[in-house]
Amino acid sequence: MVRTSSLPPVLQQQAIDIEAIARASGLDFFDVIFEYLDARQVNAVAAYGGFPVRYPSWRFGMEYERLDKGYSWGLSKIYELVINNDPTYAYLVRANSAMEQKLVMAHVFGHADFFKHNIWFSPSERRMVDVMATGATRVRRYIDTYGQDRVDEFLDGVLALDNLIDPYLPLREATSRRSFVRPVSPLERARHSFAQASASPEEREAAEERALSQEDPTTLPTLDVLGFLAEEADLAEWQRDILRIVRQEAYYFVPQRMTKIMNEGWASFWHSRILTRSVLGADEIVDFADCHSGATATQPGQLNPYKLGIDLFRHAEETGHDLFQLRALHNDVSFIDKLVDEEFAAKSELFLYSKNPRTGRMEVSGRDWQKIKKQLLCELASGGLPQIELVQRDFGGQGELLLRHRFDGRELQLDQAGETLRSLARLWGRTCHLETLIEGQPLRIKSDGEEISRVEQSPSASTPPAGEGEQPAA
Amino acid sequence: MFRIERDRARFREIVRGRLRKDLRKYLSSTELLGRRGDKSISIPIPQIELPRFRFGDNSKQGVGQGPGEEGDAVDGEGQEGEGGGGAGEQAGEHILEVDVDLVELAEMLGEELELPNIEPRGNRLLSTEGGRYSGIRQTGPKSLRHFRRTFDRALRRQIAEGEWNPKNPRIIPIHDDERIRSCKSVPKPDSSAVIFHIMDVSGSMGREQKEIVRIKAFWIDTWLRSQYTNLEVVYIVHDAVARIVDQDTFFHLRESGGTKISSAYDLFLSQILERFRPEEWNIYPFHYSDGDNWSARDTERCINLLRDEILPRVNQFCYGQVKSAYGSGQFKKDLDDALGEEGRLVCAAVDDREGISEAIRTFLGSGR
Repeated sequence: MVRTSSLPPVLQQQAIDIEAIARASGLDFFDVIFEYLDARQVNAVAAYGGFPVRYPSWRFGMEYERLDKGYSWGLSKIYELVINNDPTYAYLVRANSAMEQKLVMAHVFGHADFFKHNIWFSPSERRMVDVMATGATRVRRYIDTYGQDRVDEFLDGVLALDNLIDPYLPLREATSRRSFVRPVSPLERARHSFAQASASPEEREAAEERALSQEDPTTLPTLDVLGFLAEEADLAEWQRDILRIVRQEAYYFVPQRMTKIMNEGWASFWHSRILTRSVLGADEIVDFADCHSGATATQPGQLNPYKLGIDLFRHAEETGHDLFQLRALHNDVSFIDKLVDEEFAAKSELFLYSKNPRTGRMEVSGRDWQKIKKQLLCELASGGLPQIELVQRDFGGQGELLLRHRFDGRELQLDQAGETLRSLARLWGRTCHLETLIEGQPLRIKSDGEEISRVEQSPSASTPPAGEGEQPAA
Repeated sequence: MFRIERDRARFREIVRGRLRKDLRKYLSSTELLGRRGDKSISIPIPQIELPRFRFGDNSKQGVGQGPGEEGDAVDGEGQEGEGGGGAGEQAGEHILEVDVDLVELAEMLGEELELPNIEPRGNRLLSTEGGRYSGIRQTGPKSLRHFRRTFDRALRRQIAEGEWNPKNPRIIPIHDDERIRSCKSVPKPDSSAVIFHIMDVSGSMGREQKEIVRIKAFWIDTWLRSQYTNLEVVYIVHDAVARIVDQDTFFHLRESGGTKISSAYDLFLSQILERFRPEEWNIYPFHYSDGDNWSARDTERCINLLRDEILPRVNQFCYGQVKSAYGSGQFKKDLDDALGEEGRLVCAAVDDREGISEAIRTFLGSGR
């Protein structure tokens, strides 16, 4: 059911009508709450990643500055914002036209259905709005106690590491647990939510441990470096708490990352269908077409998830797939793996581009569908993140950490990697090492929290030879 | 949206910290020029990014969508797609424009170069009209008549004259009784200043020399603007003859020919005698040259003009000598020799861009 807190009556009625159509079409979602905000307020919420309350940080202020400038210069404008939560919150922008509001509503119901039914979202925290708010309260308390600068510095250091997580961990744990966890009644869920919101840090910690630590993150190797640090690093309690907050938020955003194309495709597929079949007036068709084609426009050298996603779902429908099953079972990688074939690649004009060494420009380099598919899968694997795992916790017998980059053909940005490693070393309190490949050569960089240096390695050696040559990183 | 404003304020604080740290860099670059509005300046800064493990660009290839033949270029500037939504998590390579108040920028400049605030010249106060109507006069427009005072005077006069009848207390003011409100002019500290940028555009002043002048003029303007509410800027260029030009011409003009500095000083003098009278204006002439004058006689004339006519009338006369490949730099030596004792004459030599901040400090460091 649509619950509205601030919509004008006309929009409220529209939301109810569109919801009925969406449900009749087979979509199913948690309650959707539409908030009605002006553009500045939406920018503020968007700067917080869609959440009304988050911990204080200058980075949100920076994001807001960017969005606000973009808006006042007329360069960019946010149409809609929806967050995975139960109830699902969505924001409507006051400045949108009546047609745009209809489009956004239909689009939101598509997302809301996807959040509820896609398997990658199934382990996600559905009361994230509350969790973020209580986390924010704690961080504010830490700021009051330890000072803005100290908290900021620590938070920035941890955030540099927030992609050192295992994107497959939440689902793996959820499926291994499912067999013995009985279904929970709504009442119990509410009680749990209250208990969590009001729990002391210790209780909460215990609860979180039950929730997240089915797998022991201290068993190496692990991709869940943040989990390892939360358990093993020598930190003050407030620091450990902040680390856990960052880790939980990182895991919350993982499914979004892994299903970007599907999620946008599904929502666009449904807004298009719902609007063109029943909601639009004759006088709105042209405006709708303009707006829709703007959202699904392609840019050279850049993949538009709205466009690729809607193409994929339409292709799936034409080839007789069960759309609802597809949206429930897949992430972007498996979805593309299942659906992209020669016909699709040709129909939706996919191409491969690469740098022409002669001209120095990016150019279309071919339309071989198998190469295209391979490239797509490679880019999207693991949520588009480099795979960096922690392989040793006592490297060199000195309690130093050794990380290894699982090389897939794409090199790391080395100066950034060095600085990130430095953040890690500061957190861990000892030197940290990272092994990767640069120009085909194995390379180890290390940092003690201050200096960053690189250690060249001979191609075959797995451990560095004696008398290793060290030189400052470029 | 109180929360986000706090986060934004925090971000701006960080930006200001960075700006303060990099101020020396800005002091020798043209980056900020032309970005000045009336009250604030828009400064481009690269978005401050947290380091992360990210992919580099060794295998720069990817998949795109759309028409196109093999070999067609696809690297048009990427733009934000319309729509958006979901959680923003792409790390963009954005340049942010941050507005900084001019007053604030001047404050940073002041701190960086340890500039003293300018003391008003002498004890001269400029009377400004249109203060408050707090005074009383006997003449003036009737509409400003002070009713109570007028009644009071008339009542006293009638009592004194024995005309007042308590049974019929009619008061009839006559002309002498009338009291009129008047505007009391309030002396206010003078807050008007005029800057003269005088540049030698003879053949020896090259592109780089002009850039240096330009950067210097920008920061001097910025500083003086923060000190005066009303600032006028006049641009004079000279080779063998001098003339007043607009800002654009000042910075882009390329003349050639000889140099007769006295021509500029004559023009400047006529300006402050006619248009910007020293009684009303704080006057800041800045003269930039490579120091190659026409003749020793003309230099002699310049020195006399400065000593007898100009220096007594201005807050401070600044001469900045920009080093050029052709200039002899003799003029500064001559000035130093002849007028080295004069507190109001400040000379500085600028060899290159690095020297700009030092020259600004010399010019503005005396607080005149």
